[in-house]
Amino acid sequence: MRRTRASLGTAAALALALAAAGCTSAADTPADPAEYVPGTLRVLASSELADMKPVLERVEKDTGITVRPTYMGTLDAVDLLAEGRAKDVYDAVWLSSDDHLRLRPDAARQVVSETPVMSSPVAIGVKDATARRLGWKPDGVTWSDVEKAVADGDLTYGMTDPARSHSGFATLVSVASGLSGAQSALTDADVARAAPRLKEFFRGQKLTSGSSGWLATAYDRRGDVDALLTYESVLKARKDLTVIRPRDGVVTADYPLSSLASTSEDVRDDVRRLTDALRSPDIQRLITEETLRRPVVPSVRPAAGLDTTRRRELPFPGSRSVADGLLDAYENELRRPSRTVYVLDTSGSMEGGRLDRLKAALTELTGDFRDREEVTLMPFGSGVKSVRTHVVRPSDPKAGLDGIRADTRRLSASGDTAVYTSLRTAYEHLGAADRDTFTSIVLMTDGENTEGASPADFDAFYRGLPAAERRVPVFPILFGDSDRDELEHIADLTGGRLFDARRGSLDGAFEEIRGYQ
Amino acid sequence: MSGSASTLPGVRRIAGIVLAVLLIGGVVAAVVAGRDTGDTSTATKTVRGVIGSEKAEFFADPEVVKALAAEGYTVRTETSGSWAMDGLDLKGYDFAFPSSKAPADELAEKYRVREPLPRPFYSPLVVVAHRGAAEVLSRNGLATLEKDRGVLDMDAYLTAAEAGRTWQQLKGADRYGELAGLLYIATTDPTTSSSGALYLAAASNVANDGRVVTGEADIRRTAPLLHDLISVQGAQQPSSDAAFRDFVSGAGNPLVLVYESQVAALLAGGQKVDDLVVLYPDTTVNSDHTVVPVTDEGRALGELLSTDPELRRLAARYGFRPQGSAKEFTAATAALTTYLTPRLTVRQAPVPTSEVLHEMARRARGR
Repeated sequence: MRRTRASLGTAAALALALAAAGCTSAADTPADPAEYVPGTLRVLASSELADMKPVLERVEKDTGITVRPTYMGTLDAVDLLAEGRAKDVYDAVWLSSDDHLRLRPDAARQVVSETPVMSSPVAIGVKDATARRLGWKPDGVTWSDVEKAVADGDLTYGMTDPARSHSGFATLVSVASGLSGAQSALTDADVARAAPRLKEFFRGQKLTSGSSGWLATAYDRRGDVDALLTYESVLKARKDLTVIRPRDGVVTADYPLSSLASTSEDVRDDVRRLTDALRSPDIQRLITEETLRRPVVPSVRPAAGLDTTRRRELPFPGSRSVADGLLDAYENELRRPSRTVYVLDTSGSMEGGRLDRLKAALTELTGDFRDREEVTLMPFGSGVKSVRTHVVRPSDPKAGLDGIRADTRRLSASGDTAVYTSLRTAYEHLGAADRDTFTSIVLMTDGENTEGASPADFDAFYRGLPAAERRVPVFPILFGDSDRDELEHIADLTGGRLFDARRGSLDGAFEEIRGYQ
Repeated sequence: MSGSASTLPGVRRIAGIVLAVLLIGGVVAAVVAGRDTGDTSTATKTVRGVIGSEKAEFFADPEVVKALAAEGYTVRTETSGSWAMDGLDLKGYDFAFPSSKAPADELAEKYRVREPLPRPFYSPLVVVAHRGAAEVLSRNGLATLEKDRGVLDMDAYLTAAEAGRTWQQLKGADRYGELAGLLYIATTDPTTSSSGALYLAAASNVANDGRVVTGEADIRRTAPLLHDLISVQGAQQPSSDAAFRDFVSGAGNPLVLVYESQVAALLAGGQKVDDLVVLYPDTTVNSDHTVVPVTDEGRALGELLSTDPELRRLAARYGFRPQGSAKEFTAATAALTTYLTPRLTVRQAPVPTSEVLHEMARRARGR
């Protein structure tokens, strides 16, 4: 079994990259205190808790406790805890669920007094028109119905990457439980038995994302995807979707606020006060109205529109081997494979340390490629220098990975920087053939465009592409002296997302992009 | 994203963090806010203790603080999972107050504390269900109901669990969409949490023909059943508080094991839970909230909690049953008799030794 999760060490780099990306500028966000300051809690939080801002402002007004969140994908946060890197850096942990944490004893030991604050189940949000066409009522749909709609070609959807986000993993668990007919917590045998049906199910997945925010953006941009699979609260907030909690069961996120075991009693008193405030009826009411999550105190009713009929709660796997096995199957067998062109700046300015860092980062990345993945390396200077494609074949994954590593070693720096000409070559290489893959381009450059096609030329070229090719996003990486505006424009134009390796690291950026491939 | 910037300083990797050390480190600068607003004529003694989290609200209650101060005590508490207490270093503390007898006995032995240990109050394990689930159990001979409470037939339940019975196979379950999948009671992790471990104590007693599990032979005989009861649950909540919260919010398994005190405290506080039914297992186990005094002050506090009428009254308000007399609990739950039974008629199974319980939990989790 081949694992494709981030290796040790990259999570911290990633944390840095994300924390850096989270602040708009150094001036308006003072650096966090390196030590606990009474009344201010440094909280490691799941990314989707960003919507709690108005609630936390109100809590601050009521209690004087300030929350300074650092947002991160839930699974990356668990990695960070397991590596002991949260100690002294954070005062509390607030994830969408601690289910994952409990599978990792090293991480579970770091937290104490986990207190659920609110809840939201995984659900399917289907375009109203699609729901009507399929004859779906919110209380009458099962996971098997969803599978059938996909098999019949009547339904496509987007979901987040289960290796990075809890919503993605919770969806994966729900689907696997639903389609395997498991009557209790999933086992390896359940996953194996359901594999053919799961494969069919995931043929309908047209969008993947490392974060729920970008998933929604990509969904809106595409326009031709029928549904989103994520938390009910996210789907309900959109207003344009029929939200369905499948009849045969869901996994619910319960957002436990936890103290870190390493903190002092004073810190824990603050966390306890924050928890009490969050669970007071007034704040619970505000939470459900503002975020459309469900309250956890009986005196407060869920916000209008949240259906209160009960659903079976699908058990979350109780052992890491089952959870990892499910993830492994998803990445290497069940999901559509990814197909990526890496457009890599190896111009003269990369000579020396920068090229070394690129080589190190790419080599590190080879530990992360999945079975069936097609990887094309396209180094460029004054033009594209070579086009080398490798496939990670399940029968012999090592051969493909060795090929990527060998080509990486051979990279050398020379020439000018022809960003747009090279991007055009990448699109031409991918061509129109829809190979049923998640297709994308990664652009790494350390400087401005100095050669070949101009930005305007590329815009015109892109706009002239057939619709299917325009769906291929470019994920540019800001590195060295590259021009943020230029790269941001490329991301916006193609529906990609900019990643910053100047504040974090190059391997951190490559690793984070994995969630989008 | 609106997150604030954060830097990771060179974090030293510290392997094997010992909770005890951290706990003690945390108490150093403890200051009790508002202490001088109380009765200033009596100099109060500050007593420090580690308590199970289920008693945190009791000790934080202003009336409790006042009642303790009237007797000359200021109590500072730190919470810890009762089951994690046995590894704790109690240096600097006056007492530990776990929620069950087994970890208390272990601590008492470690610190050579003389028996008997004060046991100020107790609370039986109960199963919470919504009306639909409770009625299906009743219709299929697994429970008997009376208004908002009932008695769960543990023998019938364990037989059903052993046979892998699903809700779908029970008469009447098809009326409720949420009643699907294997029939089981959701508990906390028995290797780390006391209520989960006590569930194994009750179940093993029934499976062992009403005898407490004592030796390797008993452990081996009951292990397959206990493993089934735990492994089917998948990931388990770390505390009964979290499990009960999920139940209240409408998520989670149809049947959840909690302490009666949690239900009583919630209802006594005026909160209503939709169509709640409280099922008392016909063989249950009490959590004996036991004080392990390591100083004379600690022992005096333990005695005070057991005997002081005001503190007994307040404990009952938090759903605990004070030892000895049912008077306080009956008074505190007078309006809740449709849910709670003031006089317990179900069988109380004795709890195996801490060592046996640990071993049962370990095998049940498959570790």
